[in-house]
Amino acid sequence: MRKVTSYLVAFLLANIITIGAFAQNVTINGNVRNSITREGSGAVSVLEKGIDNGTFTDDKGNFRLTVKKLPVTLLISSVGYELQEVTVSNAANRVQVEFKPASSLGQEVVVAASRVPQKILESPVSIERISAANIRNSPVASYYDAVTSLKGVDVTTSSLTFKTPTTRGFNGSGNTRFNQLVDGMDNQAPGLNFSVASIIGLSELDVDNMELLSGASSALYGAGGMNGTLLISSKNPFKYQGLSVLIKEGIMHTGSTSQRPASPYHNWTMRWGKKVSEKFAFKINAELLQAKDWQGRDYRNYARAATGGNVKAGTRASDPNYDGINVYGDETTADIRSAVLNTIGATAAPFLKNFIDTLNSGAPINVSRTGYNENEVTNPNTVNFKLGASLHYKVTKHTEATFAAYWGTGNTVYTGSERYSLKDFKMGQYKLELNNRYWNLRAYTTQENAGESYNTTVATRLFNESWKPSAVAGGWYQQYSLAYLGARLTGATDADAHTLARSQADVGRPVAGSAQFTQAYDSIRKKPIKTGGALLLDKSDLYTLEGNYNMSHLTGKWVDLLIGGSYRQYVLNSEGTLFADSLGPIKISEYGAYMQLSRKIMDRLHLTVSGRYDKNENFKGRITPRATALIKIKENNNFRISYQTAYRFPSNQQQFINLGIGSNVFLIGGNPGFREFYNFAGKPTYDFDALRAGSVVAFNPQNLKPESLSSFEAGFKGLMLQGKLLVDVYGYFGTYKDFLGRKVTVQQSGAAIALSDTLNGRRLSIPVNSTDKVKTYGFGLSLDYRLPLNFTIGANVASDILTDVPTNFVAYFNAPKYKANVNLGNSGFGPGKRLGFNVAYRYQGAFLFQGDFATGNLPVVQTLDAQVSLKLPKANKSIIKLGATNLLNQYYYNAIGNAQVGGLYYVSFGYNIY
Amino acid sequence: MKYIAKRIKIHFLLAITAMMFILSSCNKDLEQFATPVVTAPAGPALGETIATIADDSLYYRMIVRAGMLSAINNKANTFTMFVPNNAAMRQFVAFASGGAIPVGTPDAIVSGFIANVLPVANAAGIVNYNMMAQSIKTASIPNTFPNFFYPTNLNPTAGTPGFNPLVRLLTFPSTRNGNWVNNIPLLATNLMAANGVIHTAAAMPAPPTKVLAQRIFADPDMTYLAAAIQRADSGVAPTTSASLVWVLSNFGPNITVFAPSNAAFQNLVFGLVYQQVFAATGNAALATATANGAVAAGPAFLNTNNVSTQLVKGIVVYHILGNRAFTNNFPTTATSYPTLLNSAIPTHPGVSLTCTFTGPFISAATVKGAANPTASNIAINPTPEPNGTSDQFFVNGVIHKINQVLLPQ
Repeated sequence: MRKVTSYLVAFLLANIITIGAFAQNVTINGNVRNSITREGSGAVSVLEKGIDNGTFTDDKGNFRLTVKKLPVTLLISSVGYELQEVTVSNAANRVQVEFKPASSLGQEVVVAASRVPQKILESPVSIERISAANIRNSPVASYYDAVTSLKGVDVTTSSLTFKTPTTRGFNGSGNTRFNQLVDGMDNQAPGLNFSVASIIGLSELDVDNMELLSGASSALYGAGGMNGTLLISSKNPFKYQGLSVLIKEGIMHTGSTSQRPASPYHNWTMRWGKKVSEKFAFKINAELLQAKDWQGRDYRNYARAATGGNVKAGTRASDPNYDGINVYGDETTADIRSAVLNTIGATAAPFLKNFIDTLNSGAPINVSRTGYNENEVTNPNTVNFKLGASLHYKVTKHTEATFAAYWGTGNTVYTGSERYSLKDFKMGQYKLELNNRYWNLRAYTTQENAGESYNTTVATRLFNESWKPSAVAGGWYQQYSLAYLGARLTGATDADAHTLARSQADVGRPVAGSAQFTQAYDSIRKKPIKTGGALLLDKSDLYTLEGNYNMSHLTGKWVDLLIGGSYRQYVLNSEGTLFADSLGPIKISEYGAYMQLSRKIMDRLHLTVSGRYDKNENFKGRITPRATALIKIKENNNFRISYQTAYRFPSNQQQFINLGIGSNVFLIGGNPGFREFYNFAGKPTYDFDALRAGSVVAFNPQNLKPESLSSFEAGFKGLMLQGKLLVDVYGYFGTYKDFLGRKVTVQQSGAAIALSDTLNGRRLSIPVNSTDKVKTYGFGLSLDYRLPLNFTIGANVASDILTDVPTNFVAYFNAPKYKANVNLGNSGFGPGKRLGFNVAYRYQGAFLFQGDFATGNLPVVQTLDAQVSLKLPKANKSIIKLGATNLLNQYYYNAIGNAQVGGLYYVSFGYNIY
Repeated sequence: MKYIAKRIKIHFLLAITAMMFILSSCNKDLEQFATPVVTAPAGPALGETIATIADDSLYYRMIVRAGMLSAINNKANTFTMFVPNNAAMRQFVAFASGGAIPVGTPDAIVSGFIANVLPVANAAGIVNYNMMAQSIKTASIPNTFPNFFYPTNLNPTAGTPGFNPLVRLLTFPSTRNGNWVNNIPLLATNLMAANGVIHTAAAMPAPPTKVLAQRIFADPDMTYLAAAIQRADSGVAPTTSASLVWVLSNFGPNITVFAPSNAAFQNLVFGLVYQQVFAATGNAALATATANGAVAAGPAFLNTNNVSTQLVKGIVVYHILGNRAFTNNFPTTATSYPTLLNSAIPTHPGVSLTCTFTGPFISAATVKGAANPTASNIAINPTPEPNGTSDQFFVNGVIHKINQVLLPQ
């Protein structure tokens, strides 16, 4: 089979193959091993000095290299080890290299900052890197969470497997201002326009490194990425070989304040990389995660306004109109005075009119239906299964062709305007890529299928309607009102009358978890929104073709030149359940081109200018420039300044969403077609908030513009104290323009717009560009210090601040003023340097969290993660790790309305871990 | 030295680790809001309060007889109570005993009658009728015309097959021209108890038991009115709310009927016929004879073709207000109010009402039709049927007897 595949690949690529003929005649066999543990070192680069000829060691540390003649000098190198030169004069003897671990700071190479490899110390913009070694020694349960410990990173946890990192503010569960690229592929869900965390993508064993660019990055990576870009790269099977297995078994929901009985956490990962020949290699990855999810259980009462809203006093028992944050179905509310009681007083029982008029002092008597808690309506099981495979073929010595497929499915919960239960969500990414040392060509597609995903709020409200309709004669509200009125007529207090009325109206209410409940609920969540259910049908796709060419080998005498371009097409397909696409899929095309010029001046100054032009078929083209300067103060001490702009086109949802969220409220897109569809000409729209305040202000729809950011930044990165201390500091200042938000408008229900239309009229939430500019500024500082005996201590602090926010402007900034991390660790100490540990502390300041779903104050969050690990002797790079995230089990939220996160304790066994 | 340096470093690391533990062990919960604690109101409840008032001792007996004491002492329920004082209770007992226990009988005997003879159902009906849900002080009772109607605790369908928990007899408190419940002055108001408020009434506000039709179709001095009503209803199904008989016979409506006496109708008939004949013939003797003949025909005259149904209906509805106005609710200076005729002729000026107080009591009240040269007088006599002629209180309305037929035009 393997042969067939390789033949097939060979055949497919035949047209562009130009096999170089090498006169190879001496083959050197050798082995590289760790000088302390005496274990073979895999993925070590073995390079013939002075010549572009090299290989990597396999998982046992063995290598085979064919050279033209002897003697040769081999350069043996790998991050974390001292570079060694070995001279081989006799190929008959096996070469044995004793590889000495070395600890050095700031020696990593990053690619993301300028799209060309450079030392992290010489990056002209702020960048952070996490290597496989960092992940190995990190206490977090999922590699993706390691990003959290980087400076300036904020994270929003929607559920166990749905975490959304960002930098420089504006975080939320779905972050459309932060790009995530996996092996060069933008892994946003095309229907959502943001990455669904690590639900699809690489398995932990396959992650080579993650690079985080904080701040604007559109100049190189296109639309989006206003706040940052995370690039995750996988391990090439030519370099990383063998079978690796990682089994994590943990426990969650422990302790007295736990959300549910203690439950296991399973995470099994497997990777198999194989270099079949010098030309062909492949790898297979699989990861399964299964656990009981964290729950949103913020049951505080919420005053839901069309935009914004606030937490308020009251419980289900004390407030008849209670609307709990993580309680669903209770969003259905009605004024029983106007809905039922006034009619009784007017016709059926006129003798009760005056009595009814005096109830609640004549004010509306708002009553909400009885809801269900989040844990009652969402699947407690979170499952994530990832599968990945790639075939790599060296077409020529410097051109590698790759076919890669990543596929993932899972259940998770994400917070948008409501909490969405993403159930059996599937996403696949498939790419063909040609990688030359000078150029790169990549075509890929993202295929999304929302599976059985549903909106918990909509589903539960509909469920309530299914067992007892709200509005009809004899319905829930009528039963409630009559019971309430009857109780009041016998002198009962208002509170007692409401309690009695609720108990009467709730007669027949299915108990969560009962067969009746499950059957009815399932039938609603599996029915598409269009036909009166809550199911989201989203089968949107993304197709991308992109390439770049580094022309420096031609132009390097004068300037280093990099050019590139991309084309992408979104195909939105929700069958009318999410987008306005009931007539067929909506296609949106974008293309862009970029160029980067850079030049070193006298080894002291490195200037780079880049620019990118992008055009979305629905919007005017945009040029985004970036200019950076790196000033070398002395060796390994660099000062950097940059100016860059970034922008994003309105997301697909902001353009085309057409979602009824109940109570005659619709989220619609900004595409001008909606104005016709909703008959703006015949039924003008008005500012909802103004109307509620009593004034009639016409809403004048404007065509959407891309949102943009321009940002200045200065920073310094340097090694001090004989290389023991790495300092990185930055400060930035940015201005956001044409900020994209939403405005709630209302259409009249009768002949003219009236105050009552805030309840009865059709309310449309429409995306708008804010004319206000908002400014951000902030700084970050990190210190990493290498102590004796391989101990390391690191600390970082960052601050992000938003200013010039107009009154009543909801910016969704969602960043604490200060956040900090401290970590202390050792990747190898004790006998045979087999022990490792890491303790990480994180501080996140208090802030006002603003979300479409809920807004409220978040208190300070402090968490402690820790791990101890043991490398087993005589086993091939096997590690046993005992780890904990949120070690002290201090439950916390990092977004209002999201899951509450507790401690996770695990033990893991890893085999052949690089 | 080296050893010390190493120890210091280890201590330093341990100190940092300990600090991380300590800091992260004190996460705060999300901000919480205090839920208001509802406590039972302090102080004596309604029944306990009434028990302490000497002048209410007879009504207290009645509450006990009705079996209502625990209900009104339950602080979870709030009521307004109208409590007749002992003088009012003595009058009530004199009436309820059929004169067997006249006013002036020692209170011990009056009390004994209440405690042992008065049927429990009657006592319960009265107490329930004099209770309103909610605590309503006089400040929240409007002084607008005609009064504030409010459901009492008395459900006339209780115990019947068609029981509906929402059906209530009404009571009519008012702060117009003083403080009143129905047409009974309140002697003292706003006596607060823990679970409600007490107003002292000068007489017993008794629950009505009959409907308007039962009086109109039985009163020998209202036979013309009864005939006019039946004529006005001709062609209308008697089971619909468009039927005046239905309105007068059913629970739901709440109206005021100005009932002209038979003499008033006869005067009208005589005048109308006389004018008609005299205008046609110029013969006064013939006109007088014809008119006398029409009067002699009695109420049947209203069923003849001499008058049209529309005319009769127009006159009848002009005698009905769409709400319940006791004479004490009338304005003291003449003011016009719409009648049921206004539902057909919205711009009609309606009738003009006025009342005169002598001391706390109504001494005179008038109602004037738009085309009447003078106002007609209400015969002031608020005593119960059959003799009473003003403020006659029924389930669905009130009747005032008048001495002219009101003419709309």
